[in-house]
Amino acid sequence: MNEVAEAGIPRSSRALWQSIKDFVAARTISTTGIILFLLLATFLLWPLIAVLIKSIAGSEGFTLQHYQNFLTKPYYYQSLINTLILGVLTTSVCIGVGFIISYITIRGPRFLRKPLKMLALLPLIAPPYIFALSLIILLGRNGIITKALNLNLSIYGFSGCVIAQTLAFLPLAYLMIENSLSTLNPNLEDSAANLGASQGKILRSIIIPLVTPGILKAALIVFVMAISEFGNVAILCGRTPFLAPDIYTIVTGIEMDFSMGSVLSMFLILPCAVIFVIQNYLIKGKGYTTILGKPVAAEPRRINPAILIPFLLVSIFAGGLVLLTFGIVGMGTLTNIVGVDNTFTLNHLLDWRSNMAMMNSLRISLLSGFFGAIIGVLLAYVIVRGNFRGRTALEGIAIAGFTLPGTVLGIGYIFAFNKPPLLLTGTMMILVINCAFRFLAVGMEAGINKLHQLSIEVEEASLNLGASAATTFRRIVLPIVFPAFMYGFMYVFMTSMVSLSAVIFLVSPGQNLASVFIFQWANYGYIGLASATTYKLIAIVGASLAIIQALSRWTGLRPTAGGGGA
Amino acid sequence: MKKILISLLLVLLFVGAAFTTGQKEAAAAKEKLAPFITIYEGAGSVEIAGKVAKLIKEKLGVEIRFTSESHGVIHSRIKAEAPNFTGDMALNIGFPLMVEAKEKGWSVSYDSPSWRGAGDVWVDKDGFWWNQGNWAFVLVGNKDLLAKKGYTLPESWDELLDAKWKDQVVMPSALTSGTAFMMVYSFVTLYGLNTGKGEEAGWQYLEALNKNVAQYTRGGNVPTDLVGRGEFMLGISSDEMVMPRIRGGYPLLYKVPKEGIGFGSAGVIILKGTKKLYTCQKVTDFIGSTEFCKFWSELAGYVTKDPSVKPALYGGIPRYIPNINQAWAVANKGRLLEEWKKRIGRAPK
Repeated sequence: MNEVAEAGIPRSSRALWQSIKDFVAARTISTTGIILFLLLATFLLWPLIAVLIKSIAGSEGFTLQHYQNFLTKPYYYQSLINTLILGVLTTSVCIGVGFIISYITIRGPRFLRKPLKMLALLPLIAPPYIFALSLIILLGRNGIITKALNLNLSIYGFSGCVIAQTLAFLPLAYLMIENSLSTLNPNLEDSAANLGASQGKILRSIIIPLVTPGILKAALIVFVMAISEFGNVAILCGRTPFLAPDIYTIVTGIEMDFSMGSVLSMFLILPCAVIFVIQNYLIKGKGYTTILGKPVAAEPRRINPAILIPFLLVSIFAGGLVLLTFGIVGMGTLTNIVGVDNTFTLNHLLDWRSNMAMMNSLRISLLSGFFGAIIGVLLAYVIVRGNFRGRTALEGIAIAGFTLPGTVLGIGYIFAFNKPPLLLTGTMMILVINCAFRFLAVGMEAGINKLHQLSIEVEEASLNLGASAATTFRRIVLPIVFPAFMYGFMYVFMTSMVSLSAVIFLVSPGQNLASVFIFQWANYGYIGLASATTYKLIAIVGASLAIIQALSRWTGLRPTAGGGGA
Repeated sequence: MKKILISLLLVLLFVGAAFTTGQKEAAAAKEKLAPFITIYEGAGSVEIAGKVAKLIKEKLGVEIRFTSESHGVIHSRIKAEAPNFTGDMALNIGFPLMVEAKEKGWSVSYDSPSWRGAGDVWVDKDGFWWNQGNWAFVLVGNKDLLAKKGYTLPESWDELLDAKWKDQVVMPSALTSGTAFMMVYSFVTLYGLNTGKGEEAGWQYLEALNKNVAQYTRGGNVPTDLVGRGEFMLGISSDEMVMPRIRGGYPLLYKVPKEGIGFGSAGVIILKGTKKLYTCQKVTDFIGSTEFCKFWSELAGYVTKDPSVKPALYGGIPRYIPNINQAWAVANKGRLLEEWKKRIGRAPK
């Protein structure tokens, strides 16, 4: 950071003191950087390495036997192929529809924007496998629609998994694409339109290219989620093999084959790694900077009906499906056995057996949100203000943690932390750490964005005017990064409440989590209870978010969506 | 000012959360019942586990914190955790685990007064396990779907091979379910060992049946739900959830086919290292009481050690497949499951 005072200038004691302070300040950042690196290495890299080691460890040292088993048995490579197809299909539809909804909520008819946006984001606060529940109730062999239309279809298999995963991760795609679309300056489009470009042409050659980096980011995240969050898939796959639920079965079932589980994990990482690399390469080539500053609020132009109508139809259809899902799960909550015995009952809702799991979830999510946000923001500060080598690596590791399949980090944590000195399995702490480190990249990215807005000179001015480093941090840096902290906190909190793929491997008896509880209920055939508990979880997450929002508004520190996600 | 307030509030919130998370319960005095114990429960049914927990709470005042999973999953879990178990005891676990826990020294012995004289089937001669009930598997069907097609519930296991049941049968997966393992050794006994044709004939039956199976479920009793809700017409399911689901309003039919049904023991062990040994012993005593046997046969239909208690599902001792030998099954478990994996579970469809 600040260079130590230049040689040759006579040093008054004050200047000396200043240079010591600068020196310490400089070191503080690198020391923090080293500590952060050690933390990331321990809780993100080491579990990953542990999985790799497990996959090549034989009874007598190194072996490729497990990989050979994988590649020679049709069952396993079929599972890999299925997983890839599932990922690609889900991602394509999510990105396409996500873009369309973003376009409508930003440029479309005003009265539709807010409700559509709310609908599109609603599933974020629900466990992703809510869609498996609703699909069974609606389109199962004895589902409401199936019976009403006398259809002969089977959702147990590929189609069901794709539909459920698409609906589950559409909000994520939407959120990220909307974020980059909303920062586009409408002046660009105006200019093009004034120069005579058609709206189709503007969409093709201005809007889509400009949001491509956002789209690519979204594609990576959606792909990873689609292949690794296995709640929907485990409930709906029938006899079609997929990697993530197989890892769960292999590790928790009678096989207990950790080596094979690790091999499957490596194959789950592989496509994610490939996309990660391609994406980074592509984004580098397309580092667009549109005109700086806030987008100017321009009068929305009328959208050509040839674009508007299909876009509207898709948006309304998608929004309708979300509504339908929440409605039907609500029906599952309030009826005895939905589809069989539709008498009204409050029994499922008044069943309090999930209370403890709910409390555990809340505690763990609050803690991991807190730690995740703090570490994320510290990372951001160190990355933006530090001048040591390896800052990019630091950022890279954090983002890689975010893009790693949760399933893999789940079993990685079992291998990495089941013996001293890091004996964490069976504790609540392992859940907190896992959630915090998996998702801290979101707070970090938000922090980086925020800090880039603040010129270093402001901090230097403050220091030069005699404020201590602590004061500077408190008065200048903190107010700037606080929204990033809140954004990171909200994301980690929310995701920890509903996600399943990693924590399901780490919960121990008597310390269940709500998301795991619901999944088990759904998996063991208690649709009513699973639906009711889902609704309670949604209510808790929703209320928590509302409280956080209200608090931030009251303090004037709004967690704006300026973070942009990871 | 507001910022300081909100920061304070947040810090308080987290300190509170951290504090309650880290809180440890004080160790209970030796001869006093602990306020709660943590158990592994093998029914794979939160409903059944919850009712057992409620009864124990009522009768002994001990809260039961449980994790309920399939036998196979609980078995793996305990194996993975050994020798540092997070639970105090395990209830309703499969015979293979009862045997292995004794062999490997995972369980502790206890001479429970309420189990004395029950006989070898019901209590380990050295007091390392107690068989709380023999559970079995039955054929289940959906009343409405069968009626719509004009079919009746098959009378024998052989009839299940009929092509008209294609994609209409659900049964548990041996990769996770102890019930499924019970089915494997029972059908190998029925069609293989008992006919003198050797194990292979048993596998041929299972492979032929596989052609009609729509899916293999994680838990042994999940077919009662899938069939009950009309997702599939027929199921082979463990018996414990048949009665509760019929009472709950599912249009389920069940039958003991003419060849008989297979069975397995499900029981109790106390895990080594528990700090609540006295409480575990009292719970074990209670499970051996006539009161519990009545409750258990009534709830899950299990056949218990108490001959005066009639299991609700069968009204007496059901017709079992002859010559089922659990000791043989446990000794050959690894091999049988490997075979199932190769031929069915991990074979491409």
